[in-house]
Amino acid sequence: MAVYVLKKGDLEKFLLFLGKQGELIAPVKKDEVRFEPLKDPTDLYLDEQTYIPAKQYFFPQEQVLFTFQDDMIIPVVAPIKKRIFFGLRRCDLAAIQHQDIAFGEHNDPHYKKLRKSTILIGYQCTKKLHHWCFCGSMDLPDFYDLMFFEQEHHYQIDVGSAQGETLLKKSKLCRKTVVRISKEQKIVPDTNLLQRKDLGKHYSSKAWDSLVKKCISCAACTTLCPTCYCHEIKDDVPVSLKEVQRKRTWSSCQLKEFSGVAGNYTFRESRSSRFKHRIFHQLQYFREKHGVDLCVGCGRCIKHCPPRIDFIKVINKL
Amino acid sequence: MKQLLSKADPYRPFKIEILERRQEVKDTFTLKLDVPLKHDPGQFVQLSIPGIGECPISISSYSSSFLELTIHEIGMVTNTLSKLKKGDTIFVRGPYGKGYPMKETKGKNLVLIGGGCGVAPLKGVVSYLDKHRHDYGTIDLFFGYRSPEHILFKDEMPTWKELYKLNVSVDKAPTGGCYTGNVGFITQLLEKSQLSPQRNAAMLCGPPVMMKFCIDILQKKGFHEDQIYISAERLMYCAFGECCHCMIKGKFTCLDGPVFRYDQIKEDLNEEH
Repeated sequence: MAVYVLKKGDLEKFLLFLGKQGELIAPVKKDEVRFEPLKDPTDLYLDEQTYIPAKQYFFPQEQVLFTFQDDMIIPVVAPIKKRIFFGLRRCDLAAIQHQDIAFGEHNDPHYKKLRKSTILIGYQCTKKLHHWCFCGSMDLPDFYDLMFFEQEHHYQIDVGSAQGETLLKKSKLCRKTVVRISKEQKIVPDTNLLQRKDLGKHYSSKAWDSLVKKCISCAACTTLCPTCYCHEIKDDVPVSLKEVQRKRTWSSCQLKEFSGVAGNYTFRESRSSRFKHRIFHQLQYFREKHGVDLCVGCGRCIKHCPPRIDFIKVINKL
Repeated sequence: MKQLLSKADPYRPFKIEILERRQEVKDTFTLKLDVPLKHDPGQFVQLSIPGIGECPISISSYSSSFLELTIHEIGMVTNTLSKLKKGDTIFVRGPYGKGYPMKETKGKNLVLIGGGCGVAPLKGVVSYLDKHRHDYGTIDLFFGYRSPEHILFKDEMPTWKELYKLNVSVDKAPTGGCYTGNVGFITQLLEKSQLSPQRNAAMLCGPPVMMKFCIDILQKKGFHEDQIYISAERLMYCAFGECCHCMIKGKFTCLDGPVFRYDQIKEDLNEEH
């Protein structure tokens, strides 16, 4: 696809333009770095990985699926606004693609509703954002409408879709170039940390034990993971008692309740079985089913793990 | 015959009227619903009461005119369900999952082994067999319960005795009671039985520990792992492979199960704990 060039000095203008095309969401540094609606282009913050991924915009922590009113089921009707995401890293983008697979398999209308009408604009990392970035091991695809590659005085913008190119043309800030994005530009140095292998044979390996013992079941890994999509369904009754909301909420396989059935029986009782379950879902089970690992190598689950469980080391030793 | 599955929204249930509510034993009841659901024996539905929640329940009937669900009062949803009566409505979606392999076992002798409310889905299998009796060889039923007052489906037993080899046992019976049947774990009756693995298939449903010991006995009698089918229980929300709660290693209980051929799930069950 085509490549365009934007002068660095024109980035703010470009962001202002994007803000007029839809709701612009980009990394902002508040208490933590997170994807937020970008009110002022100078708030854009690209120096760190976002603490919280963009997942919540498509798969919210809590989503009303429908309501019951007098035994009738009323679908949730909300106007769908166009959203433009800027500053997604290659891992963040792949995470969206993998969630598309997970929810797309079931043609999930609640996910689809929030996912459509979005434009994804990526920002290629030129260096690793933290010590545990291992995207270089994960064969991440080109999954974007536009992807920014930072150069000294300008950005090269790789076009990934027709709607991305239309947007660039409309902005009148970019010019087409004959330069092509090289393979090297798409790879972040020093991020090939994980030796990927068939984990199927290694579930009962003793190598996990010492590591897994450190897990405190805080669920930070599943909460901050851009791909973890396990969820539960629960009913909420507002104080008015007039309607019942059936909701989908995030849930964490790191917690005992995740596999507990009525009668007080828990199938994954041990913390190690729960820890391993997540790693295996991310790096084995999903691939067995969909041909691609769920994990995108963003490393948030290691960086933000309070006891800092570095499962990469264990997998490499297996 | 229809299915209660919404194409527009897989989470959307359908409002169904309760035709009848029967108390089976103290903590277990059966709801007969006004829906001719197209399903296989061993499949399940998601039942819900708005404001309380949803839970998976195995189908305990096999009929072209109604649907029966035998429910153990053990959790929040099932306790609330037990308070419903004839004429009330509930929400249902389904059927889901893979049931017992009735087509693959055609022409074979069957052994059905159930424990407690695990007998409920097997009752669905028995109802299927009632209608297709000539397609199968001998049929042995082994049903175990905690005590005489926990015995399910007493009304069906005379018919079952006539058509099949029915074995019932209770773990414990009060001394001096009027119960005159077998006392002891169902494994004892299974062990004593003259089952031959030839042309046989075994279908199990019950507490994990009961199934484990029954499988041991079946194997001692010469059954191969691929002749044994078990129904697994897991927490589940979506029932169509999206919420991931019911995963047993890489397998989904709601899609690949709840009925698994034992050789295909054995290692996963043993390893995961």
